[in-house]
Amino acid sequence: MIKKIKIFISNLLAIFRKELLGYFAAPFAYVISGVFWLIAGVFFGIILDGIIQNAAFVDQGGIESTGMDVASQFLSSYLGVIISLVLVLLPALSMGLYAEERKRGTLELLATSPLTNWVVALGKLLGVLTFFTVMMVPLWIYQAIVFSASDPALPISIIFLANLAVILVAASILSLGMFISSLTESSIVAYILSFILILGLWIVDVFAQRVSGFMGDVLSYLSLFNHFNILTSGVLETKSIVLFISYIFLGIFLTAQSIEALRFQRS
Amino acid sequence: MIEVEHLSKIYGSTAAIQDVDFSVATGEILGFLGPNGAGKTTTMRILAGYIPATTGTARIAGFDVHEKSLEVRQNIGYLPENPPLYPDMTVESFLTFVASIKGVPAGDRSSKVNSAIERCQLTEKRKVLIHKLSKGYKQRVGIAQAIVHDPPVIILDEPTVGLDPKQIIEVRHLIKSLANQHTIILSTHILPEVSMTCDRVTIINRGKIIATNTPENLLSELTGNTGYKLEIEGNTDNLESLFKQINGITQVIIKPLENQSRAIIEIRTDTTHELGREIANLLIHNNLGLYEMRRTRATLEDVFLNLITTEETIPNNEQLNVDNTVETE
Repeated sequence: MIKKIKIFISNLLAIFRKELLGYFAAPFAYVISGVFWLIAGVFFGIILDGIIQNAAFVDQGGIESTGMDVASQFLSSYLGVIISLVLVLLPALSMGLYAEERKRGTLELLATSPLTNWVVALGKLLGVLTFFTVMMVPLWIYQAIVFSASDPALPISIIFLANLAVILVAASILSLGMFISSLTESSIVAYILSFILILGLWIVDVFAQRVSGFMGDVLSYLSLFNHFNILTSGVLETKSIVLFISYIFLGIFLTAQSIEALRFQRS
Repeated sequence: MIEVEHLSKIYGSTAAIQDVDFSVATGEILGFLGPNGAGKTTTMRILAGYIPATTGTARIAGFDVHEKSLEVRQNIGYLPENPPLYPDMTVESFLTFVASIKGVPAGDRSSKVNSAIERCQLTEKRKVLIHKLSKGYKQRVGIAQAIVHDPPVIILDEPTVGLDPKQIIEVRHLIKSLANQHTIILSTHILPEVSMTCDRVTIINRGKIIATNTPENLLSELTGNTGYKLEIEGNTDNLESLFKQINGITQVIIKPLENQSRAIIEIRTDTTHELGREIANLLIHNNLGLYEMRRTRATLEDVFLNLITTEETIPNNEQLNVDNTVETE
């Protein structure tokens, strides 16, 4: 048993390392990161400026308001923009996970090595998720600078939860995107299908907000973005975590099954 | 080491391979010979555990390739038809990755990778990105990934395809050097390859095994006919009937050379007896000049063509027979 776990971890690390180093060796990953950081930086400035002006306007009006929590408003609106940006980005990160392996014939190497489909899928997901997390690091630095200047200070746990929410949504979508990538040999097709999937998830969210009753409850429970909003508002609920983990697991499970099925239909 | 019994793979209504039977002993090199589309790659893929067979069993090192897939995969090195390479990795990092997914312990990896690099003569390319390598080097990296973890069984699908003649020779030497410590099965549609590298040959056509034997035995069993090739000068009008009087000569082909009174004569025999003396005598008695004379022997190529043409008639039978004998070097 211990030996099996050792082999599992060693295989997982091998796939993980290969995937992660693959992103660092790929020019397209740098281009995507560069563009992402540029846009994220521009929005950071715009949103921060907008919120500060808004607060100044409220102050000048001399209206006795309940007061504005500039810091937390900034956090939720900034990460709201970031998550939209990320939704365009994620399919680009996951599109090649299996499609490229299929196209290059390297899936034949993986499939004839003593690896299970599960370990390959999990290793790939961890690799791409780590790369995505690295892409988020500059954004954390921006936030650290701004929130260190906020008075009263925003609790660190809220900032942490909000950023964790971004990572969890990304992991869920990357996992499903990985499954889509395993269905085709073309990265472009994988990108388009993944994007359609994200639109589908978005539509679920829209319906969840409009429909009332039991159906609405079910949809809002299933909506990734609903749980994202709950987390960014600083509320940690078990059902949110369960849902994210379910999405991630579903993606890995479907990927493993689709690769296994490929074995049987190949001609 | 490899046992294959009644293996069939059926796609829809067509059988890619049918009732394939063979076995490979430890340390042996088996050549899997057949034209394109004969079912070689299908068989290799089943052995490597990449696709399942429809019926029949295959065992490698005692493990069923389907039931005990992971154990089998631990015991094989496999070079698919297209070498599976990551273009953005260097040779060394790629081989290290392969070693790690094949279960080589972390401490042994660098020594195994070094030894594979050395054996495949990749030393000067070890830090080069794979997409910058030539086809020949890529093929070598493909072989290196199949042997890096020192597997007992190596499966090579068309290992020399797309290489230039010098590289082909090097790869053949490499394969030969792997024998003894490894059991090797290699597929090819190039005939001299099997006679040069393999201990035994299995010939497959249209998904069926049609012969298994040593290259030498296949030659002697299936083509008793050796022959002679002569260059002579003089009147060749009655020559054919004269030659036919010699016991054992079955066929005489006379090809006059242009602008000369000379002719090339090809003789086929159905015995293994030497007929050189009789042929020379006959020429002398008929006052013909002899400028060249050498023995010819059917190559495996002819065996192959014979086997396939006897299995079923191929429309261009005539064409195939034209170059049926090739000089041995």
